[in-house]
Amino acid sequence: MADHTTLPHRFFLSISLLSILAVSQPDLTKELVSLRSSSESGVIRLTDDTVSKFITSVSTPRPYSLIIFFNSIDLNSNPLQEFRREFAFVSASFIANNNNRSDVANKVFFCEIDESSDSEAFGLFGIQFLPQICLVDPLMENLQDKTGRMEEEDVDGTAESVVEFIESRTNLTVGPLHRPPLLSKTQISVIVALIAISTPFLIKKVLKGETVLHNSRVWLFCTVLVYFFSVSGTMHNIIKGMPMFVRDHEDSNKLVFFYKGENFQLGAEGLSVGLLYNVVGLLLAYVTNALVRVRSVSGQRVFMMLAMVVSLLAVKKVVYLNSWKTGYEIQTYWPSSWH
Amino acid sequence: MGGKQDPTANGSPKSESMGAKKASPDLLNSSFSFKSLKLKTKQQELLLRVSILGLVYVLAFIARLFSVLRYESMIHEFDPYFNYRTTLYLTEKGFYEFWNWFDSESWYPLGRIIGGTLYPGLMVTAALIYWTLRFLRFFVHIREVCVLTAPFFASNTTIVAYFFGKEIWDTGAGLVAAALIAICPGYISRSVAGSYDNEAVAIFALLLTFYLFVKAVKTGSLSWALGSAFGYFYMVSAWGGYVFIINLVPLYVLVLLITGRYSMRLYVAYNCMYILGMLLAMQIRFVGFQHVQSGEHMGAMGVFLLMQVFYFLDWVKYQLNDTKLFQTFLRITVTSAILVGGIALGVGTASGYISPWTGRFYSLLDPTYAKDHIPIIASVSEHQPTAWSSFMFDYHILLFLFPAGLYFCFKRLSDATIFIVMYGLTSLYFAGVMVRLILVATPAVCLISAIAVSATVKNLTSLLRTKQKVPQTGSTKGVGSSKSSSKVTLDQSQPFQKNGAIALLVGVFYLLSRYAIHCTWVTSEAYSSPSIVLAARGAHGNRIIFDDYREAYYWLRQNTPTDAKVMSWWDYGYQITAMGNRTVIVDNNTWNNTHIATVGRAMSSYEDEAYDIMRSLDVNYVLVVFGGVTGYSSDDINKFLWMVRIGGGVYPVIKEPDYLVNGEFRVDKGASPKMLNCLMYKLCYYRFGELVTEYGKPTGYDRARGVEIGNKDIKLEHLEEAYTTSNWIVRIYRVKPPTNRL
Repeated sequence: MADHTTLPHRFFLSISLLSILAVSQPDLTKELVSLRSSSESGVIRLTDDTVSKFITSVSTPRPYSLIIFFNSIDLNSNPLQEFRREFAFVSASFIANNNNRSDVANKVFFCEIDESSDSEAFGLFGIQFLPQICLVDPLMENLQDKTGRMEEEDVDGTAESVVEFIESRTNLTVGPLHRPPLLSKTQISVIVALIAISTPFLIKKVLKGETVLHNSRVWLFCTVLVYFFSVSGTMHNIIKGMPMFVRDHEDSNKLVFFYKGENFQLGAEGLSVGLLYNVVGLLLAYVTNALVRVRSVSGQRVFMMLAMVVSLLAVKKVVYLNSWKTGYEIQTYWPSSWH
Repeated sequence: MGGKQDPTANGSPKSESMGAKKASPDLLNSSFSFKSLKLKTKQQELLLRVSILGLVYVLAFIARLFSVLRYESMIHEFDPYFNYRTTLYLTEKGFYEFWNWFDSESWYPLGRIIGGTLYPGLMVTAALIYWTLRFLRFFVHIREVCVLTAPFFASNTTIVAYFFGKEIWDTGAGLVAAALIAICPGYISRSVAGSYDNEAVAIFALLLTFYLFVKAVKTGSLSWALGSAFGYFYMVSAWGGYVFIINLVPLYVLVLLITGRYSMRLYVAYNCMYILGMLLAMQIRFVGFQHVQSGEHMGAMGVFLLMQVFYFLDWVKYQLNDTKLFQTFLRITVTSAILVGGIALGVGTASGYISPWTGRFYSLLDPTYAKDHIPIIASVSEHQPTAWSSFMFDYHILLFLFPAGLYFCFKRLSDATIFIVMYGLTSLYFAGVMVRLILVATPAVCLISAIAVSATVKNLTSLLRTKQKVPQTGSTKGVGSSKSSSKVTLDQSQPFQKNGAIALLVGVFYLLSRYAIHCTWVTSEAYSSPSIVLAARGAHGNRIIFDDYREAYYWLRQNTPTDAKVMSWWDYGYQITAMGNRTVIVDNNTWNNTHIATVGRAMSSYEDEAYDIMRSLDVNYVLVVFGGVTGYSSDDINKFLWMVRIGGGVYPVIKEPDYLVNGEFRVDKGASPKMLNCLMYKLCYYRFGELVTEYGKPTGYDRARGVEIGNKDIKLEHLEEAYTTSNWIVRIYRVKPPTNRL
């Protein structure tokens, strides 16, 4: 990144440095406030120029801190944009909570630098990976200094982690987070209207006994679904917050779907095993109960052979996975005289 | 099973005894081959059924004796020691003394009202068995009775499972269910010989209540409902898990109401069971008036009132002939009933008359609740959520059969199958939330899987037999006949059909034999360990027994003053009082979180601070469990973070991060200074730095955690080592009296 700082750029930098020094610092705060009020949810988009204007060319101590989110539209990464939205929630909440306390609200400004359009400014910070958040406190001079960064393990993509970061570093309180409601007011009113219109029809159907609740197939489907989620350890994944899969420690391109060890599991492994249980059980039910009604004899035969092979493979797979996971070796006990 | 006739062709239990006398002629023919025995087919069938059941009964009992064979006849684990101690007291002093017992030997200095804080069902059951045996002049020791109570009740459960299976499907399913539940590891885990815990009798009571209730709903008879109420009473007296019944049964009734299956039978069954069951349950002091006061029981009451509304509406409909008038009336009644109910619930909760849900119950509905709010629940390993491998371990092939069973249940939907499906699904959901609730789901899983096995085997065998008995196919009912008759009409290639059926049958029997092998292995290797005596394999494959716990408790019993107070983490409280006969500060009852937190605080403080706490609690001895020498991993050092968390929950001076280094719990040189000098660390590792535990490792190498300890030079100021067991698993320290002069 540093190679980009060619001569014309440096020249430009020094020019802007001179011009900004002339401006007094309270004006900078004012300018930030106006930038903030004009930007969506109060996150100021910093460009190459404004970075130097508000950070590099201002003598320390600066009258404000900046919390900078490093973004890259070109990366086209969903988690990153998700995190960016969370960051915006924090910003909006901070402004809303400290609306009538300008001494607090004007101490911290939420900013964003996009690598795709302002790679120069981005390069000043020497960011190696994304997502990354940096606090530029009033005394910070060396932008490459890593003390202002959020710890790598704390970056988990939630607004709460950002709040924690800010509160632990600045002595300011962000206050409660204001997330936008899941549905907007118009959507809610439309839904309410739909429900209100459909209620009489529904009541009529319930009285006549024609709803999905009276269809045993629906119930069967639901019970199998509940069974599937129960035995595949979904509650375990929810309570312990297990991910679907993890990356291999040694080779980051490899994904690990199965965890060796009795009391833990990853999300995907439980679901796949749960699926195998259900496949075998439902095939058995189908073969002994519904297949006989199929008219074609060869169809019956083919399906039956297929069902047997699939069941055999599924059972073998589950038993193999189980002994691999737990490390147990099931053995039979024969009478000692047989040996 | 393949060889016998279908006994419940017409479904009612009455027809079996009748049917024995008037069997159809062609059935009689087949029995002529048994001329020497002169048994009719029905009698043969009965004989077979009874002998199978008898064998299953014996099997359920002896499969649970692995623990006695591999170790000895002793009480297992932690809670059973308390149960044993109270049973002993009951048999020695009588029921009234037991009921009014104030125990000053635990929770010093608070004490504990035993009679009002326990479920007496188990103790009374064991005492009754004991008294009966004494009356019959069998002079057994009460310990043997306690050890064998669980297998005995497991055997009884198989009988109940048989009748239940018969009720929801047919006798075949009943037999299979009995056989499956007899060796299902999910149930064995809690009912091996020596596992003298509430669950041992509770599962029997649970299944009995459900069976009687289903029977009552089916027949609409008051006597079955009465039986169900008494079954419920027994369950309430035995285990806190009765809450499951009092919520599942109303839920079931509600589903029947919604799906339009309301009937007079249901009305009689539920009302009788609820009212009587509630009144009876109030006789248990520990439960008291919870049925009318606690939020967990309000669902049952709501459904009870709803039933009355249904009945009332039926009556009004009968009185009013005008449908329009009735519609208006319906609207007004339902609206006002919901309104009144809502207001009553709101007022009751707001005024504190109806208590909100308890944490344990709440953590079932919102599983993440316990993790965030109640460390004392989250800390227990059996309250952890279940991974799929645990299900596989406890159910094995039943997991494959369960969906098939569900399918069959839906094919033949009745009040009974609806119940078993609901029971299965709700309990499986709860089993997913907490490992220990696998136990509650086991009977349902066995029953539904039994339906799958029985229906499949029956279908296939009837297919195999169609050629010889083509005219007979019309006489069998249900799924089997529809299949076999359609086969006869549709399919001309009989040999292939037979081959297919034989292949499937072989497959099913192969699976079942794998199940038997799995269950035997699991019972013998995993579930028969008493956990008070530890076993390990030596370098040459020989078995090494660590009997340190009992060694320590007997030392306490023999060498300490009778009024000595022992402080330990709560896990060992019951064992110390039962085997050591000494007073403890906290025990496994965990009713007073503050008291436990005080002990947790003492264990995680520096020695001088801990000394003040111990002096204030009059502690004479401190007992810690340490696995560094043997590699025993569930010792106090591994539980230590929970002591810190529980202590920190009440006393904010204890902070978890002080004991961690970068979020990691360590005991080696890199451990935090607070960790290296807290009381627990000092007591566990005192003199450990001089010891070589493993060849080729430095001194002070902790085998349980695989590290060299960080503080080898430990000096104790206010405590002195009193006793360390032969494998160092239990270490006891004496608290020195304060120095006389400064």
